[in-house]
Amino acid sequence: MQALDIRPCHLDAKAEALRVEVRRFLAQALKDLPAAERAKNWNGADSAFSRQLGERGWLGMTWPKRYGGHERSALERYVVLEELLAAGAPVNAHWIAERQSGPLLMKFSPEVLAPRLLPAIARGELLFCIGMSEPDVGSDLASVRTRAVKTEGGWVVNGSKVWTTGAQRCDYMVTLLRTGPKEPGNRHGGLSQLLIDLKAPGVTVRPIHNMLGEHDFNEVFLEDVFVADDFLIGQPGDGWKQVGAELALERSGPERYLSCTQLYLEMLDAADAGNPHHTVSLGRVAARYAALRQMSLGVAGMLARGENPATPAALVKDQGALLEQAMPDLAHTLFGDTRTPGSRLDQVMRYLTQTAPSFSLRGGTREILRGIIARGLGLR
Amino acid sequence: MNQALHHNEGHDSAPSSLQRLIADSVERLFNDHVTPQVLTQFDAGVPAHALWQQLVEHGLPQALVAPVSDDNAATWLDVSPVLRGVGYWQAPVPLNETLLAGLLLSRAGIEVPEGALTVLQAGAATELELTAAGVLNGRCANVPWARSCRWAAVADDKGRVALVDLRQAQVSVEAGSNFAGEERDALQFSAAPVDALGTLQLADVRQPVWVFGALVRACMLVGALESCLDQAVAYANERVQFGKAIGAFQAIQQQLAHMAGAISAARTATEVALYSASQVMQAEPGSTSSLAFDVAVAKVCAGEAASLATSVAHQVHGAIGFTQEHRLHFATRRLWSWRDEFGSDAHWAQVLGQAAIAAGSEGFWAGLTARTL
Repeated sequence: MQALDIRPCHLDAKAEALRVEVRRFLAQALKDLPAAERAKNWNGADSAFSRQLGERGWLGMTWPKRYGGHERSALERYVVLEELLAAGAPVNAHWIAERQSGPLLMKFSPEVLAPRLLPAIARGELLFCIGMSEPDVGSDLASVRTRAVKTEGGWVVNGSKVWTTGAQRCDYMVTLLRTGPKEPGNRHGGLSQLLIDLKAPGVTVRPIHNMLGEHDFNEVFLEDVFVADDFLIGQPGDGWKQVGAELALERSGPERYLSCTQLYLEMLDAADAGNPHHTVSLGRVAARYAALRQMSLGVAGMLARGENPATPAALVKDQGALLEQAMPDLAHTLFGDTRTPGSRLDQVMRYLTQTAPSFSLRGGTREILRGIIARGLGLR
Repeated sequence: MNQALHHNEGHDSAPSSLQRLIADSVERLFNDHVTPQVLTQFDAGVPAHALWQQLVEHGLPQALVAPVSDDNAATWLDVSPVLRGVGYWQAPVPLNETLLAGLLLSRAGIEVPEGALTVLQAGAATELELTAAGVLNGRCANVPWARSCRWAAVADDKGRVALVDLRQAQVSVEAGSNFAGEERDALQFSAAPVDALGTLQLADVRQPVWVFGALVRACMLVGALESCLDQAVAYANERVQFGKAIGAFQAIQQQLAHMAGAISAARTATEVALYSASQVMQAEPGSTSSLAFDVAVAKVCAGEAASLATSVAHQVHGAIGFTQEHRLHFATRRLWSWRDEFGSDAHWAQVLGQAAIAAGSEGFWAGLTARTL
């Protein structure tokens, strides 16, 4: 039970003051962004916008100054994140680098890669993607087959990665691969993380279009790609442990419950306050928003205190995806055959209805998350 | 000032030393005195007098009684182990109602009588009127434990609080009960004079019995939910079928994980509401707070979690959980009752939904982050 106790974390006046500043900036910067674009939420990418955030000091906010960071609190960063997401800002270009790759390098390559690369991440100029899944490896990450073989001054990598979001525009891929065999009794042994330059010889990026026809995913082929020793992240064989810490960052943020916010906002504007069916069902969603926000903030507080909230993060992501995925069906129930074709509600609903299935797949499937929660409960 | 209200950056709401002390004594008392025998006896019509006597000896029913000016008074967070404990152990006594009545009366400068107390909301949106002269007229349904309580605290929507004797001739009592056999009586007042009248010295609570009552029920729901989860997990780990504990099957794990998620949401939402309620106790009368919003959120989440958790807990327990002999029903029958009381989740969702629609796309997020929707 203790593992699943998420205590509320209260924002201080400094964080709330920053919120006002961020809102003022977004009102101006996004004033011409249409609802259909805001609906993309953190799937929307605009590198110019990412650089603007960097200029304002809103990327790498908690990092030390020597890495180009701003040494602000984790809760100030949280406020910036939730404001960006609630407004539907196009944050995808820098999202992964800022959320997890930067912290990963800071922890596992503090003297080599972090000083070299983090300042550019904090400026919104250096973009990262994550190479975990492979064609035959989805949830069962311990079975990755991409291999790195030691050679003079570095490693030679062969294999392929799939569902790699943003690889077509990114500079680097944090790649989980095998540098040694599985060990007896430890199927996660022999895994390591290498940072691969996507412009390096031997790297081929091929698009995979999703069911809406969008190009977010890619397949990344690695043929005899040379990676210098400096680009090993952490220790050989520690890959699984390192990925575990990264996943807590990947799963705990406010992006895990806010993806359908634009649809909720459009429903509020289309709703009839005198219709109990509208008020009760939209009110239930409002309550869940409020609770999820406090849970997400509570996990941010745990991270800020240096705890490892892997289980609570899985729980918040599972609950968040349930909230997000309830929204298209609610829109169907309330406005299925009454909305005006081509209206904002219609455009947003069209996009999010077809995107929502991915919300309980990306970043750990519902089944994997619930397995983690079950272990946290003491089920064996 | 209480430690739980000091919040530095990045710090969480760690329990105060008073809260930990109360938690320890609640656990000891309820473990020893709320046994399956006591609960079975209660179902057969025998009140839990011995339990109540123990609680009185430990001073718990009066834990929120304090003079208006007392800065060291116990807060809602401090007594939260009691509120949740009544749910976790399913204690069949009017303890939480007495706590709430004690708070309202003492914060209105009215001396708190001994014994169990219940609470009534009067004024707008009720059928009960408290006149300027201090006379009660009208009806109040589903009053918790009215037959077990000689006195009730009455609050209206204009900041007035009264103490009324329920044993006087101008009050008639119609016995009723919830699904768990707890007294939920209908009271009829025919020009019943109150015994004391005062003004509530508390910030921004328009319908105090209704709002604090919903907060108390949310806490009790969370306690009973945790009891259900603990029982279901323990049972899944010990019950062997097909050669292994059923808790090793993914079908069971996925259901319990889903249930745990809903309970976690209810618990966090309730903690936030307790925090707000504690702040209200220390705020200047007349200042505004997020309490009404936070309580609405907590009651919706706790009610929804109750609906899911009762279903999963019974499913995991199989037939044995459906017997009188097994103790699961002490928790589930209370969950089905308490989710209805002091406003069902649909009621509070409607309140939130009206506010959200009024805020619209322009105002929703600002209202959510300020918790003033």
